[in-house]
Amino acid sequence: MSNSDVNISRRSFVEKSATAAAALTIAPGVFLHTVAEAKPADQAVTSAVRWGMLIDTAKCASGCTACVSACNTENGIASHDRPRTDQQWIRKVTLRDKQTKHEVSLPMMCQHCETPPCVDVCPTGASFKREDGIVLVDRHICIGCRYCMMACPYKARSFAHETVDLTVDYQPRGKGTVESCTMCVHRVDEGGTPACVEACSEAEHGAMIFGDIKNPDSEISKQLVEHGGKQIRADLGLNTGVRYRGI
Amino acid sequence: MQQLNKRMHNTLITIAGLAMLALSAFAFAGEKPSFAPSVPHPTNGTTECVQPEDEMKKNHMKYILHQRDETMHDGIRTKTYSLKECINCHVPKDSEARFGDDKHFCSSCHNFAGVSIDCFQCHMDRPMGSKPLGKNPHGAQVTPTVSTHGANNE
Repeated sequence: MSNSDVNISRRSFVEKSATAAAALTIAPGVFLHTVAEAKPADQAVTSAVRWGMLIDTAKCASGCTACVSACNTENGIASHDRPRTDQQWIRKVTLRDKQTKHEVSLPMMCQHCETPPCVDVCPTGASFKREDGIVLVDRHICIGCRYCMMACPYKARSFAHETVDLTVDYQPRGKGTVESCTMCVHRVDEGGTPACVEACSEAEHGAMIFGDIKNPDSEISKQLVEHGGKQIRADLGLNTGVRYRGI
Repeated sequence: MQQLNKRMHNTLITIAGLAMLALSAFAFAGEKPSFAPSVPHPTNGTTECVQPEDEMKKNHMKYILHQRDETMHDGIRTKTYSLKECINCHVPKDSEARFGDDKHFCSSCHNFAGVSIDCFQCHMDRPMGSKPLGKNPHGAQVTPTVSTHGANNE
């Protein structure tokens, strides 16, 4: 833990110095904002962006599973008709207030924490966070111990119990490793939007917004400033990249 | 007696040396020995790989491994040394050959050399869009279905 604290403070120090340097060199009142979209393929991701999502539960329709099916199709996740062990990267959850009987429907997936417990517990370093905030499993070094699955407070990760019949080449998946939402990293790296967000807007609900939460001009940042965005289990202090409205 | 042994030893060394010379001459002649595997050629009409053939034969794994870590951790998605592009170029889309068959580009050599790799336990061993061949013996549905498991949590 102390190690990651050191890293965070070092990173924020570097960012602050960089911002200060930028503010010095550019005329007062004029700030450069890095346009994060469509990064060149040969450039590494940087911490100048942090990808996040904002989900408006008021717009999320109960019974609609467009995001779930889009995720399954996009990443080639097939059901074996064994719900207890089938892989699942995103699921719909219904919350009901026992007193008022008020129901809220929302999609639940990897929350892409700033300080992810799955990364803390991983014994091999397979579970990691990219510079741009996306939390991934490097399945080349995952040994399938499933500590991360136990550490995740959001039950966001699944284990591949069976041989996978791959249908897509951009999302290699295999038996014996842990997997979870990648925020459609293969799309994001090419300037795209995650499949679930796209499906939600195609279904005309528009309950999900994806974007760079470090860029104050992005749609998601504006919405977050205006309406706020709650973290699920905010008490854990994980600073999640996925935020919710209306819960 | 000792001298005789020494002479025999020298003779053996000379014979071995000559044999090696003959073998290397055979190799340098550019002729493929009959026992060498037949490696399928690229399917998209190109005749040149991203590096000269000799270099690729020797070091393809280094290029792929390097690219693997860059893509995974830094999101660098250049195509030159990506495993996906190896497959797109070297495996015909309509091929029924899977990794492990002698006809598959990678295994044609790997079977011969007796080097096992685990790339294709996760990666596709044929280009995307090829017919899924049903690796899972338990009859999984290949068409993804909606799972609502975990819904209705109170």
